[in-house]
Amino acid sequence: MSSPRHINRVHGELGEVSQAVNSTLELETVLATIVAQAVQLSTTDAGAIYVFNEESQEFELRATHGMDEAMIAGIQDQHIGIGETAIEQMAAQRCPVQIPDLLNEPSSQLLNVVIHAGYRALLILPLLRPGEIVGMLVVRRKQPGEFPKSTIDVLETFADQSVLAIQNARLFREIEEKGRELEVASKHKSQFLANMSHELRTPLNAILGYAELMLDNIYGEPSEKMRTVLERLQSNGRHLLGLINDVLDLSKIEAGQLTLSLDDYSLSDLVHGVVSAVKPLAAEKRLAFKAEVAPDLPTGRGDGRRLSQVLLNLVGNAIKFTDNGEVAIRASAANGAFTVAVCDTGPGIPLVDQAKIFEEFQQADSSITRKKGGTGLGLSIAKRIIEMHGGRIWVESELGKGSTFYFTLPVRVEAQAEQS
Amino acid sequence: MSKRILVVEDQLDNRQILRDLLTNADFEVIEAVDGEAGLAAAAAHRPDLILMDIQLPGLDGYEATRRLKADAALTAIPVIAITAYELKEAEDKARAAGCDGYMAKPISPRQLLAKVREYLSSPAPTR
Repeated sequence: MSSPRHINRVHGELGEVSQAVNSTLELETVLATIVAQAVQLSTTDAGAIYVFNEESQEFELRATHGMDEAMIAGIQDQHIGIGETAIEQMAAQRCPVQIPDLLNEPSSQLLNVVIHAGYRALLILPLLRPGEIVGMLVVRRKQPGEFPKSTIDVLETFADQSVLAIQNARLFREIEEKGRELEVASKHKSQFLANMSHELRTPLNAILGYAELMLDNIYGEPSEKMRTVLERLQSNGRHLLGLINDVLDLSKIEAGQLTLSLDDYSLSDLVHGVVSAVKPLAAEKRLAFKAEVAPDLPTGRGDGRRLSQVLLNLVGNAIKFTDNGEVAIRASAANGAFTVAVCDTGPGIPLVDQAKIFEEFQQADSSITRKKGGTGLGLSIAKRIIEMHGGRIWVESELGKGSTFYFTLPVRVEAQAEQS
Repeated sequence: MSKRILVVEDQLDNRQILRDLLTNADFEVIEAVDGEAGLAAAAAHRPDLILMDIQLPGLDGYEATRRLKADAALTAIPVIAITAYELKEAEDKARAAGCDGYMAKPISPRQLLAKVREYLSSPAPTR
């Protein structure tokens, strides 16, 4: 049995088996390969692999080789529990058990099926994992007689491979299930956020709408005092709306649902759009405000609306934190990339805070910033949007000397960058 | 004669804001609370402009607009869609349904009034 030729054959077939175990996650296919090779190599006539079902405490037939339909049906009709004599012994001792002649055994329904199909000897190997039995490998011979130790040794290797296959399949199934659960949970979460944001915004829109009508004298002329209060009402309402929108944006990014709508855009138009939106804010604080856009900028491709959002955030911050001096936007293109800089003469950002401010819910920790409010989400959203364009955003700043926020991105963005 | 505007909007507050805004600007305002009522009001009153909320119970604003635009007698009336979210998909869908204009909430009454005037060839008298 252990001639060099035979050993080579064993190696070849084991190789085939482990390849099957590693290459396919279809448990049935793997087990069928294992049992076929096991039968051939042990020069027996038939074999089967059973998987132990923890819930029912029964062995279930999962793969067969050399067994006819009638016998398979006969075995499937049986409830094979731990109590079967030979199985009990195998389970208790956790080692292979053989029956050299079935006719010498006390009769049982299961044995009768096997004997009826013409078998006289069988060998059962437990499929063991530390601490538990996951199944069994059985080979049967039509001739009675002992199974040699070399056969048992070889089959033990097959039993180990079966355990691996069963484990892999279980893990795979668990991962699949978890993945599905996560997908469902994530969908629920996104739907919840979308609904919530809608529900929060609806009444807020009404509040902002009425406030504006009142400020426009639609309901008669308000007193100066009322007008001041209405303006506070309006600015707080707008702030709240900004917070809701930021939270919604960030949760969409988190859920991987924020997708860029790629289209052609003009960086120059984009900058000027932002300038006209924030000009009144700069004027209110008596800040100098200028935009320097390089002439003949190439047409960009990307999500113009989202890029405006980024620039608006940077310029809005610059105005918010600067009390004297100026805020400037500079836009240029070189080597296929746009670079936009937003400079201010504000208080500056300490070095330790310069990376932190791009993280969620982080603002540079100083009394100045706390007074200015904000969600601390704007920059982290800006960073995600720029990164989705395959670009980069950073700040250069020195305390007392102002800050410059830069972002750079490819002029033509044809596909959304993978999110990290 | 003042121009007639049909407001199709299910929310009471939004309807009132639009009514107050538009009547104050000397427009005649007709209101409908859902898509079906909007179609009936459009046929009965032949407005000069329709402000169509998209998120309506039952027949939504897209479908109501599609039906309006399929009706030869009503197809010429400009329809401005009002959606709950500023999304390119929403705008594209509104345009595909036949809407002439598009605005996303939150809508500033001032901006809306400017848009309404832009769509009505002869501007309403100023106060």
